[in-house]
Amino acid sequence: MSHYDAIVVGAGAGGGVAAGVLAEAGKRVLLLERGRDLSFEQIERDHLRNHRFARYGHNSRPDLDSHPRVFVDPAGHARVVRPHEDGYHYNASAVGGGTRVYGAQAWRFLPDDFRMASVYGVPKGSSLADWPIDYADLASFYERAEWEIGVAGDSQASARIWPRRRAFPMPPVALNRQGAALRRGAAALGWDTLSVPLAINTVSYNGRPACIQCQHCVGFACPSDSKNGTQNTLIARAQASGCCDLAAEAVVERLDVDAAGRVVGVSYVDRQGLHHRPRAAVVVVAAGAIETARLLLNSASEQHPRGLGNAHDQVGRHLQGHYYPGVYGLMPEPVYDGVGPGVSTATVRFNHGNDGVVGGAMLADEFIVLPAIFWARSLPPDLPRWGLANKRFMRENYTRVMRVTGPVQEIPSPDARVTVDPTVRDRWGLPVARLAGTTHPETVRTAAFMAERSREWLLAAGAERVWGAQPGLYLSGGQHQAGTCRMGQDPRTSVVDPWCRVHGHDNLFVADGAVHVTNGGFNPVLTIMALAFRTAEHIVRSW
Amino acid sequence: METSMPDELASRLTLLSEHQATTLHALVDRLIPPDDFPSGWDAGVGDYLARQLVGDLRPLLDQYRAGLDALDAEAQAVVGARFATLGAEAQDELLGRIEAGDVVTVWLVDPAVFFRRAVEHAAEGYYGDPGNGGNSGAASWRMIGFEVRG
Repeated sequence: MSHYDAIVVGAGAGGGVAAGVLAEAGKRVLLLERGRDLSFEQIERDHLRNHRFARYGHNSRPDLDSHPRVFVDPAGHARVVRPHEDGYHYNASAVGGGTRVYGAQAWRFLPDDFRMASVYGVPKGSSLADWPIDYADLASFYERAEWEIGVAGDSQASARIWPRRRAFPMPPVALNRQGAALRRGAAALGWDTLSVPLAINTVSYNGRPACIQCQHCVGFACPSDSKNGTQNTLIARAQASGCCDLAAEAVVERLDVDAAGRVVGVSYVDRQGLHHRPRAAVVVVAAGAIETARLLLNSASEQHPRGLGNAHDQVGRHLQGHYYPGVYGLMPEPVYDGVGPGVSTATVRFNHGNDGVVGGAMLADEFIVLPAIFWARSLPPDLPRWGLANKRFMRENYTRVMRVTGPVQEIPSPDARVTVDPTVRDRWGLPVARLAGTTHPETVRTAAFMAERSREWLLAAGAERVWGAQPGLYLSGGQHQAGTCRMGQDPRTSVVDPWCRVHGHDNLFVADGAVHVTNGGFNPVLTIMALAFRTAEHIVRSW
Repeated sequence: METSMPDELASRLTLLSEHQATTLHALVDRLIPPDDFPSGWDAGVGDYLARQLVGDLRPLLDQYRAGLDALDAEAQAVVGARFATLGAEAQDELLGRIEAGDVVTVWLVDPAVFFRRAVEHAAEGYYGDPGNGGNSGAASWRMIGFEVRG
């Protein structure tokens, strides 16, 4: 039986950072990842099977039949779903996790994102709450993530929003044609804009080259290894330290406890189907908000009959992601110039302080939209889907349509939750995640408000017409999944303490989006990374 | 006008009868008609479907067969001729009614669902990456201005 100082479950944004910090501190680390360690070639450029358009599968190559989940729709009907099907809420499982194929928007949350209940009050029926830590507790870790992962951004413009001690390590991505049009529109409206901070090398950095501006960024792997995930930063460093064993295609069955109920290690199955039970002084769970909750629940024991950290029925609640109420605009001139990644310009003017709604969102332009995705999602609702009219619209307007959208901060609901299904098992015989509930209706109101701002922006930029569907009430929790092991002081209303340690377990930590009390009006990955730096440093310091 | 299929393609669509394959060819070329850029079929939508109907779309094969048979029967009932032999205008008029579920014959599949799926699959084959078997020579990408440069 192997013995480690620490076992980290999940090699994504949070787990990769935690493993890197622990290994470089000299701790012997076992990093377990359910997904594969994929090369650029293995991830491919399949336009119908990728993390932007999973029509028939995913390019992170999950075995589509091995990892079912149960999804309960808002009408209460449960169905078994596979990773690429509606309702699954998949995030890439691979070494690097979502960061292997993400768009790499690297935003900090705002100070008010950590005190939503204090700022707005708690809408009836929601579980909106303040974080037990504030922005100042994370500021230095955001900075560390920006430098150690590698983020390109406009330091001056960003500093007007987020006072910073240190500039971004790289200059921002070049302004493209759609961004230039939107900046003109924003200027006409009197709105401030800034370059979207991206974990993408705009100059050579950390021994890897600058971005070659390809057309397959978000949803795909980077051809020049210029996109910075954990697989080419902290995990690579962990492995270089000589202190980290990485096992991919390792499915963790449960966290093991001793007779006194203390966590002593994990049980996992390797790719050959062999069972292992490594022991460790510390276990860090970072499997993503859905799988982390599932693992804690599947680790029920005599001392913890409802699962680890779940004495108060909190594990799995408040599942949230982001609403993206996209609006499309048809421009008089081409705005597509083929320069990747595509996203370049944002405003954070509407993240807070919006009359009559709770919270808001960052708004930005869009990554390059592949033609098959454009056809499926970007066409005006009144356009025939077939015939010459459709073909001509595609021909004339692929380069003239742009989208503005942004991640709307969700107002959490305690009933949007992960449980484990009583009957459905995965290939390894483990109870699968069962997802049910929806976000709180206030989220829908904020989303509608943000869609109006997007319309306004596109029209000011010169759009001849705009369109976009009004969002309904649903569960969101895919790539930005968060909230299922929320952080708090009180074990009755939270799962982890302010150091992300599971209440009642002094050697069990969570290092993914599950700990987010709320998920900000931004892509959450930099926050997940910053928290993982903080948690791992805390583990090292208190060793 | 009787549409004909190249022999090699017919052999790859062996899961369809020759009759069904001819109807499919005619259908795809109304979903994405020719102009100065190739029609759906000429750009490889048939190749895409030949691959998918033994792959991801295998569960829909029987519905495709039934839908194509029903489409042809509908044409016979309404216009008195096989679908593939009709002129473009008559084909479009018939397809418009099928899209709306407005049919006069008995369909073993929901006509609107069959039609919507065919439209989506044709677009996947036409606008998807050539690696999926359609979009021959990246013709649709040239048409719309999408170019892979890196």
